[in-house]
Amino acid sequence: MPGSRHSRFASLHDVELCTHTATGERRAFGELVRRHGSSVRGLLRRMGAQGAEADDVAQDAFLAAFERIAEFRGDGTFAGWVKRIAARGYLRRLQKERRIGALTAEQAEIDADGAGGDADGRIDLDEALKVLGAAERVCVTMCFGAGLSHQEAADALNLPLGTVKSHVKRGLDKLRTRLAPADGVAMEGRRGNG
Amino acid sequence: MAEVEFERRLERLFGEAAELPDAAQFAERVERRLDAGWTARRWLIGAAGVVGGIIGASQLMMSNVVQRVETAEDSARLLSSGLTHMTPRADWLQALSGGGSVVWVAAALAVVMMGFVLTRVIGEI
Repeated sequence: MPGSRHSRFASLHDVELCTHTATGERRAFGELVRRHGSSVRGLLRRMGAQGAEADDVAQDAFLAAFERIAEFRGDGTFAGWVKRIAARGYLRRLQKERRIGALTAEQAEIDADGAGGDADGRIDLDEALKVLGAAERVCVTMCFGAGLSHQEAADALNLPLGTVKSHVKRGLDKLRTRLAPADGVAMEGRRGNG
Repeated sequence: MAEVEFERRLERLFGEAAELPDAAQFAERVERRLDAGWTARRWLIGAAGVVGGIIGASQLMMSNVVQRVETAEDSARLLSSGLTHMTPRADWLQALSGGGSVVWVAAALAVVMMGFVLTRVIGEI
């Protein structure tokens, strides 16, 4: 009975569900999708994918994860692993459709839009990300949302490492202002994982 | 220090994605695609098994198996008649000598077995 199988899987840890999935138990993988589907889709939306596109890429990412489940060793979290697959998949789609070059072009327009935003109140991350240019948003989301290093992000984006670091730094500066304006903390520097 | 704290906070914020209202439907869509892919794979494996069986059968046909069976029948008949002269009649030898159909059934079973084995091997791969 499907319902009882779902409830049986609901009590298991992600790693145990991955073990069941590796033996061909598709319902166990369904439980993983139920748990982490929203966060993967949310990540893709934060990278700039529209609703339907984000869902398509997320579905493909989960299917790819199912096929490659034996590669997941449990070193990090399952969600993090799928997010990396999804982020790379989204970038591949952008490259295939030759939209990746438009990321930098989009930046000035969005910057101008964001300049007049609400800088005094505390706003959530999704709102704050709207202030970032497309390239900054993608780089920041890949590094802080999908957990990629700067180098991995540069490889995935096919951009020089320095360019990615610059996008991340500018993005962080803007987010810092938007997310904690009351603190008045001017933090400089950049993420030291690349 | 403040920079590191901000980055950690940012990672936490990214990790705190709200559950989307259609989360269950999304999971069902993924499961449906998984099931569809699995069904297609099973059909593919089954078809490969049938093709393997047909190839096995045709190989048996092509390797003069009829001639060999006839030779084996003649040999069995000779052996049977020789033994009849030497020893009291043995019913089982008679059964063997008239066993052209038995050989065909055995060959068919072998083909079916090959099909099964091939299906299993592809399934394991």
